[in-house]
Amino acid sequence: MEIVVCVKPVPDAETRLRASPDGRTLDPEAVKFVLAGYDESAVEQALLLKEAVPGTKVHAVAYGPAPRTEEVLRSAVALGCDQATWVDSGPDATGDPIVAARALAGAIAGLAHDLVLCGKQAGDDESGLVASALGALLSVPDFSCVVDLRWDAATSRFRFQRPVEAGLESWTSPTPFVVGLQQAWNDPRTAKLPAILKSRKATIGRATAAAGTGGESRPEKFELPPPRTGAKMIEYRTPQEAAEKLVRILREEAKVFP
Amino acid sequence: MSPTVLVVGEVQDGHLAAASREALGVARSLPGTVVGFVAGSGARAVADEFGRFGVAEAYAVDDPRLDGAPVGARIPSVVAAAAASGATVVVVAGSTLGRDLVGGLAVRWDAAGATGVTELTWTDESLRVRRPVFGGRATETRALLGGRYVVALRPHAFPAPSEAPTPCTVHALPAGEVPPALLAPERTGVVAATRGSGPGLTDASIVVSGGRGVRAPENFRLVEELAASLGAAVGASRAVTDAGWRPTSFQVGQTGRAVSPQLYIAIGISGAIQHIVGMISSRVIVAINSDASAPIFRVADYGIVGDLFQIVPALTAEVRRVRGL
Ligand SMILES: Cc1cc2nc3c(=O)[nH]c(=O)nc-3n(C[C@H](O)[C@H](O)[C@H](O)COP(=O)(O)OP(=O)(O)OC[C@H]3O[C@@H](n4cnc5c(N)ncnc54)[C@H](O)[C@@H]3O)c2cc1C
Ligand SMILES: Nc1ncnc2c1ncn2[C@@H]1O[C@H](COP(=O)(O)O)[C@@H](O)[C@H]1O
Repeated sequence: MEIVVCVKPVPDAETRLRASPDGRTLDPEAVKFVLAGYDESAVEQALLLKEAVPGTKVHAVAYGPAPRTEEVLRSAVALGCDQATWVDSGPDATGDPIVAARALAGAIAGLAHDLVLCGKQAGDDESGLVASALGALLSVPDFSCVVDLRWDAATSRFRFQRPVEAGLESWTSPTPFVVGLQQAWNDPRTAKLPAILKSRKATIGRATAAAGTGGESRPEKFELPPPRTGAKMIEYRTPQEAAEKLVRILREEAKVFP
Repeated sequence: MSPTVLVVGEVQDGHLAAASREALGVARSLPGTVVGFVAGSGARAVADEFGRFGVAEAYAVDDPRLDGAPVGARIPSVVAAAAASGATVVVVAGSTLGRDLVGGLAVRWDAAGATGVTELTWTDESLRVRRPVFGGRATETRALLGGRYVVALRPHAFPAPSEAPTPCTVHALPAGEVPPALLAPERTGVVAATRGSGPGLTDASIVVSGGRGVRAPENFRLVEELAASLGAAVGASRAVTDAGWRPTSFQVGQTGRAVSPQLYIAIGISGAIQHIVGMISSRVIVAINSDASAPIFRVADYGIVGDLFQIVPALTAEVRRVRGL
């Protein structure tokens, strides 16, 4: 089985967010970019499938600028991905996920792909657009919010579930298809030091993004909310008084009482 | 020129879903004409309901094949409806189905797309969207370019529109050509969501979550009783789902669900960053915790420092009293 996993370099969760000097985007200066969030789970799921299904290869693909994109691919290799391809966006990417999907599809179309794994949403833009765009671009089905993804050798189909508004859906699908993964079977593993050192010398394949057509978006403003000043604390003598005060506040001040 | 705006409606219990009505309200706030669209079995009858909200024209693709098919199978119908109506803007609800449509439709219809939108404005022939990013820690504004636009809203970010009944003409459309690959996956079952468990969570306008502070699985009913009194969904921190006190479908946070209700009540939850990113964009946050220095109080709007075993039952009783339950 050939698995492609899409990983996006995103700012480390601890990053202090700041707008760039022109006010349009996040200031990438001094930001540490990492493989994080749902993408870590997508890589974990790919590796779990590799361990479960003999003969499986995992190919990590990422679109973005130097040097962060190549670095995030090296972390995927350190975790156990067999190969990696960097699709260079050049320095002035607009950050539009559909544009990213077109570039990724260009690279993935040239690779064997029984399964394309994406995170449910990227840790920065949280669009959840890339998996569904990839489905359309590769002319295969796509599914978001996937959990419990298992290969069923007897039927040559994957089985998986999707928690959606109506309930927990169960699906089976033949390959190929695209997944926006919500959760892997396990918590993501961490890379071992020898693997990290080895990944520094790994060959990262390179592709250039073809000029796209169709719609796109441009960033105009990046704003940080005024810092939350901390909770307004409710003073009380008895639990009943605390309850009465809170209900009054929710009704009259916050206006969120049902 | 003002655009024609196509609202993709979703069916819920045989009616136009509440989330789709929100989408309709947003579409009505743009300049231009609003048309409706519904696909799936029973689409025709549901499309009629657009008339209740002042929409005079709607398109229906009444094809049961779409009900259990992957989202991609619906895209040819939406493209056909956009062509038939001359729409250049498509607005969908912030539901799972709505969000899932955007990427594929943007590709197939050569449009610019955005999800999780909390503000939508039409200026100089183009659409500008505002949306939270980084788990609600920042907001971005983007200009969508290219002449065709598809946007999914953020759930609960908009009020439902008032009714303004008008006769609605419903045009029937065929589902268009659905590639066989899109009909090969099979939905083998759906276990209906019980109110308060996982899926209802992302939908609810009030969420009451419990953390390790409840100490034992049987005490979690305190959280559930408060939720029931408020008509809220029940959530949990990962400490609770890891311990197996409640299933993982209840988990709010980085590796669980992201929720953005009007009101989020965190009970016995410390406020680890992985939990915060899943609930920070809630409109009003209340925290109940015995530790005055718990980080949850830094993101909460209102806090009660106290023992949840005393505060929560009192709160449930007060809510019931005020609501006449
Ligand atoms: C990769 C990763 C992903 C993660 N994803 C998630 C996620 O999606 N969601 C998530 O929630 N966590 C997640 N976590 C775990 C997170 O870091 C915290 O460990 C977790 O949120 C803690 O849960 P808690 O607040 O219930 O427990 P604790 O941190 O133990 O807090 C319990 C709180 O209860 C209070 N308390 C105790 N007794 C009482 C009482 N009688 N009355 C009132 N208050 C009381 C205490 O003061 C304390 O603040 C993740 C961690 C990692 C590393
Ligand atoms: N630039 C990128 N390079 C590689 N994968 C990406 C990129 N952008 C998005 N993805 C993948 O698509 C998922 C959803 O991203 P998004 O649609 O931006 O929320 C991510 O979790 C990644 O798996």
